[in-house]
Amino acid sequence: MIPVAVPLLTAGERLDARRLIESQGLAFEDGCDDLVGLYDNGRLVATAGRAGYVLKMFAVDEAFQGGEALGALATALTSLGRAAGHDAFLVFTRPEHAASFEHCQFRLLVASGPVALLECGGGLERYLDAHRHLRREGTNGAAVINGNPFTLGHQYLVETAADQVDTLYVFIVREDRSVFPFAARYRLAEEATRHVPNVVLLDTSRYAVSAGTFPSYFLRRNDEKAELQMQVDVRLFAAHLAPAFGITRRFVGHEPYCETTAAYNLVMKDLLPLYGIDLVEIQRATAGEAFISATRVREALAVGDFATIERLVPETTLAYLHCCL
Amino acid sequence: MNITRRASAGTMQSSDLMVYVEPAEQLDIQIESTVKKQFEHLIRDRIEAVLRQLAVTQVLVKVSDRGALDYAIEARVETALRRAAEA
Repeated sequence: MIPVAVPLLTAGERLDARRLIESQGLAFEDGCDDLVGLYDNGRLVATAGRAGYVLKMFAVDEAFQGGEALGALATALTSLGRAAGHDAFLVFTRPEHAASFEHCQFRLLVASGPVALLECGGGLERYLDAHRHLRREGTNGAAVINGNPFTLGHQYLVETAADQVDTLYVFIVREDRSVFPFAARYRLAEEATRHVPNVVLLDTSRYAVSAGTFPSYFLRRNDEKAELQMQVDVRLFAAHLAPAFGITRRFVGHEPYCETTAAYNLVMKDLLPLYGIDLVEIQRATAGEAFISATRVREALAVGDFATIERLVPETTLAYLHCCL
Repeated sequence: MNITRRASAGTMQSSDLMVYVEPAEQLDIQIESTVKKQFEHLIRDRIEAVLRQLAVTQVLVKVSDRGALDYAIEARVETALRRAAEA
């Protein structure tokens, strides 16, 4: 009989799951949308969770490894995930387990040190197909911008970078975990870069700086785990996004404030050259004595200091902040 | 038969397949399979046979197969289509 994984709903079931996950040296993370498990004679022998489009915490009792447990967990989680509106799923696992996932029709996207990132559902292929028409010949560069909100610093980075390449792809971070929603961040970036003819704007989907590739960016923690996530994120960009758009230069602003972003820049400096991509660090624009940053804008906004904001953002962003807040 | 909503059937287990169907303007069949090189055309034949039998002409069928046999393919495709059709 084909084993079927069932949702774990009661406190007792979830405690079983937690014990199984922790017994395998994994950390149990709260906040999953679904937790499913497989029982054998009343004992939980396999479990895994789903948070949005990310599948995680796969733990299978040793006696049940190599069988149908993984397929049962993946079937249950992707069915629940599809019902919740997702159609492709990412999973982080250890490289030694990647092959088991590949047998279940997951595709290996990145293997980096002790971490492997796989996807099921063909999301990356669909993303690249949908943007294929934006591919331009020539020497192309890329910048990945959250733009929370879009500042004069971002504008300066885009203008300076665009000067150095035939086409500059500006990827706006899709993930909605920032103060300003994606639609607004995208529109402000569009308005503030419209005058630069060789800029192509697009969204990162989940394939750069997302909950799937780099959750720490949004958590602002600096530890070993964050560094691993950065490596996965950078390798994903370098191995999949960059070749699809002919990108050979990645532009970043130098980072004097945020430790996470500074560490991210360092990881890029290390890894991108391995993929034939140059990292170009551009000195940040200043306003008065200090560098411009979106954090400064948000701080000024919190106290209603529009005199400061005016010196930090383009007119388009200023108009948005005035009318929408 | 009219396909009016998304539905799926099957499992990700070995010797089985997952079938996803959704409404579409025309007929589109996308196949992923561990045995795609050898058997894609036969899998496609089975899917098309079920579609003909149920008179479905507008649908997107996505299949993720792990070496399922013909009868499993037919049963999973039919189940997914019936789940996706108007009641």
